[in-house]
Amino acid sequence: MAALARFWSPFRLRLPGGRAAQLLLIGGYLAFTVGLLLLFPRSIIAFLLYLANLLLVFGARAVPGAWQAAIAVVETLVVFPAVAAGNPFFMGVGTTVAIYVALALGLNIVIGYAGLLDLGYVAFYASGAYLWAIFSTGKAAEFLPFLHGPLGGEWFWPFLVLGLLFAALMGVLLGIPVLRLHGDYLAIVTLGFGEIIRILAAGLNSITNGAVGLPGVGAPAIGGRTLGAAVDFYFITLVIVGLIVWVTIRLEGSRIGRAWAAIREDETAARAMGVPLTRAKLLAFACGASFAGMMGVIFAAKQSYVDPTSFTFMESIGVVSMIVLGGMGGIPGVALGAAIVTLLNIQVLGGISDFINSVGARWGIQIPPALNPSQYHQLVFGVILVLMAIWRPEGLIPARRRHVRADEEAEPATPAAAPGGEPA
Amino acid sequence: MSAAGGTAPRPAQEGAAGRAAGPVLEARGVSKRFGGLVAVERVDLAIAPGTVHSLIGPNGAGKTTLFNMITGIYRPDEGDILFRGRSVAGLPPEKVAERGISRTFQNVRLFKELTALENVLVGMHLHLRANFFDVVLHTPRVEAEERRARREARELLAAVGLGGLGDELAKNLPYGHQRRLEIARALAVRPALLLLDEPAAGMNPRETEAVMELIDGLRRERGLTILLIEHDMKVVMGISDVVTVLDHGAKIAEGPPDAIRRDPRVIEAYLGKAVER
Amino acid sequence: MDILPQLFLDGLVVGFVYALIAVGYTMVYGVLELINFAHGDIFMVGAFVGTEVLVALAGWGLRATADPWLALSLALLPAMAVAAALGVAVERFAYRPLRRSPRLIILISAIGVSFIIEDLVRLVETIHQGKFVLPVPTVFPDVYHVSVPGLPSPLTIKANSLVVVGAAVIMMVVLTLIVSRTRAGRAMRAVAEDPVTAALQGVDVDRIIALTFLIGSAMGGAAGVLFATQYTTITPYIGFLIGIKAFTAAVVGGIGNIPGSFLGGILLGVLEQVGGGFVGAKFQNVFAFCVLVAVLIFKPSGLLGQRVQEKV
Repeated sequence: MAALARFWSPFRLRLPGGRAAQLLLIGGYLAFTVGLLLLFPRSIIAFLLYLANLLLVFGARAVPGAWQAAIAVVETLVVFPAVAAGNPFFMGVGTTVAIYVALALGLNIVIGYAGLLDLGYVAFYASGAYLWAIFSTGKAAEFLPFLHGPLGGEWFWPFLVLGLLFAALMGVLLGIPVLRLHGDYLAIVTLGFGEIIRILAAGLNSITNGAVGLPGVGAPAIGGRTLGAAVDFYFITLVIVGLIVWVTIRLEGSRIGRAWAAIREDETAARAMGVPLTRAKLLAFACGASFAGMMGVIFAAKQSYVDPTSFTFMESIGVVSMIVLGGMGGIPGVALGAAIVTLLNIQVLGGISDFINSVGARWGIQIPPALNPSQYHQLVFGVILVLMAIWRPEGLIPARRRHVRADEEAEPATPAAAPGGEPA
Repeated sequence: MSAAGGTAPRPAQEGAAGRAAGPVLEARGVSKRFGGLVAVERVDLAIAPGTVHSLIGPNGAGKTTLFNMITGIYRPDEGDILFRGRSVAGLPPEKVAERGISRTFQNVRLFKELTALENVLVGMHLHLRANFFDVVLHTPRVEAEERRARREARELLAAVGLGGLGDELAKNLPYGHQRRLEIARALAVRPALLLLDEPAAGMNPRETEAVMELIDGLRRERGLTILLIEHDMKVVMGISDVVTVLDHGAKIAEGPPDAIRRDPRVIEAYLGKAVER
Repeated sequence: MDILPQLFLDGLVVGFVYALIAVGYTMVYGVLELINFAHGDIFMVGAFVGTEVLVALAGWGLRATADPWLALSLALLPAMAVAAALGVAVERFAYRPLRRSPRLIILISAIGVSFIIEDLVRLVETIHQGKFVLPVPTVFPDVYHVSVPGLPSPLTIKANSLVVVGAAVIMMVVLTLIVSRTRAGRAMRAVAEDPVTAALQGVDVDRIIALTFLIGSAMGGAAGVLFATQYTTITPYIGFLIGIKAFTAAVVGGIGNIPGSFLGGILLGVLEQVGGGFVGAKFQNVFAFCVLVAVLIFKPSGLLGQRVQEKV
């Protein structure tokens, strides 16, 4: 056990060499992985290795931050779509990963920054998804007399915002009574809330179509052109990811982010310093919820089908394990965690299953489908959660606490008259 | 989290000019029970502006409980607490801080994973106005405000003798520095009344000396009123204007340090035991 | 409503099962202030062990109905033993290393353990039985119809229900005696009160915590067997929902309070059945969650619990 811990702890993302060497490395590796994507058009390994490009950029500390960001943007928004353009498999995987990255980043605000364990996060995701599904399939017209038939794809864009507002509202409504509760109780109540939403979705037939679900959810459209292809959703999702990252970074270094950190570290001390507990928690909660609501709208449009099975407790825990794996409170870590867990979930386990089945077929052994590794997602989540909690609670990429930025350090610290101020 | 209602108390002017005559803080017959245990029983307390007022008494005498009632962590079972003439009893801690009372804790309670500077910045929360949208849009107003806040936080750190240590994580500071950082954080709230819970606990004589100077300076240069819990008699006798003695939750004596030193009841209840130890 | 008395009775029976599980939550919370998320799954493991024993007995020619008391005892003992061992192991490997970590981390570990147990049971059962949804052999087949004067229809009472209630009551009495009368019980209460002081007075805190898990888990395992015989089908995932409900029961009664968790369990069982009768079975689970949320918000200390004030 200890040996394993030692193996893990030197996991520091820091490339050797100077700026030129690092840029060369980034470029070379990019070319290599692009080649892999082209050579192996259905290989999840190739996709994973391509994703590692972003890690590489992140670890290139000798490269200025603005360059790092620019390279990462080019790699995700230009190179990947160009390479994977004719490949719906990669595009689909890329989009799914991006959706979970967005969800994980949103929940990270609640768990990683404010320290509130929300186990019902999927409820907000569901509310966004159902909102768009109900209106774009015409289900809403059945119970809202002023509507006639389904809303068109142009409505997708306002519904992105509506989904955000609706989920934020739900977050506030749940948060007001619930956020007074401490740690474990909060976790259980949010879990209960998530289940309530799912059961309602499965039971309120006249609104949600119950267990049958809502097929034919509309894709977004602009000027009559429908944006229903994998690549469209890829870009839409990445724009939202960018937005979430932007908001998160801004908040983190602000008075609001500090209030969250203070609450996470010590509620009593935070309150004694004048941090309004409930208001700060509520903001974190609503903030996380609203991102989930927005992603729900996109998810519904992408799947073109919504039913309650997409919004189980498992889904919430999946997102939690992404955050725990990657590192609570840090953006790169959480994104990495989301990518790993998503791929593990949707592809790697399935890949192992296919492999076992093919081996079984060759030797004439019937592998019962119930033993299929792709059925054991829970086991994977469970192992991730326990191992990380025990050996590396700070995650694969521990959050870097923000320090004073360089431009401010230039400003001289005015040495005030220090009464009795010599350090003891 | 808009900054509505964040009226910044300005201690120096109000404390001196505004209500110089009356006490800054007044406790009237305050009691607190935990189950069957009486922690504080009908205690009266009046703290004059600009003074250093010490609370002493054996362990379990109810000193920290009294602090917790003043700062809103506990609600008194009986009695009232007036701060600058208005009741603060039963207000939540953040509202008490907003009124202008801040404190340190007996067992240092810093935000360990934050830097020293960030700890102080949290103390300034009430005086910063940036709301969610300002922050996300990163308006120039926010930028200027942050810059000012950081400068002020650095000044406060320097004032308690932690100049240049702003980027250290709080948990990495030595114990004595952590105590000072707690004071800086409390000062960032811009209180009129500062409550210090055993600021010299666990310090060597040299550090204790420095803390005494620090406290004395806070009163002289910032016009602060200070309520102090302390076990170190040298500190209490050295810097207090008034000393209140609690024993078993009740007030048994009050007066200037010299009188307290000679009070037979105090000697029996507190100093006697202290000497034996 | 004609069916109200019947619902009330059914609720009473399920309530006793909740109560037995709730004890495990409450005891662990008492000593560690931790929601042992895996406790529902320990209950589930108990159900599977008991069921496997009954199935095996039937395979050897001993049908449970032939000698129901013997069969039930033979199912209960190994189920309780396995559940107890599992509970102690979970504490030892997933919680103890984290005792000094932030609460969030321990809870995350607990959730992880819960998931691991569920899928492992599923895996084992799939290999062993070829399926993981198991039918449970009947133990007490009799059903009584009791006519009560004033009621339009007779009440249906399964013999098994009476056994469930009887067994639950016996276990509760034994537990109460252990906690109040024995040295270990006193030590347990001392640790719950103040672990540091207890340690100073020579109590081996680690041992007492392990003992708490052992007893709570054994009760949970027994509850699993009783549940299985009563409801005739089990899956590896029953622990989640029933665990949450039992936790709710513990909160309703006042967490950390053992008589409270009995009371809470029975109350929740009845409320849920009767309430479910009104809102429809589909939303019965919503009802339990709403009770949980409402109690936590309006009376977090529960019915018999004391208000705990944070030490500052």
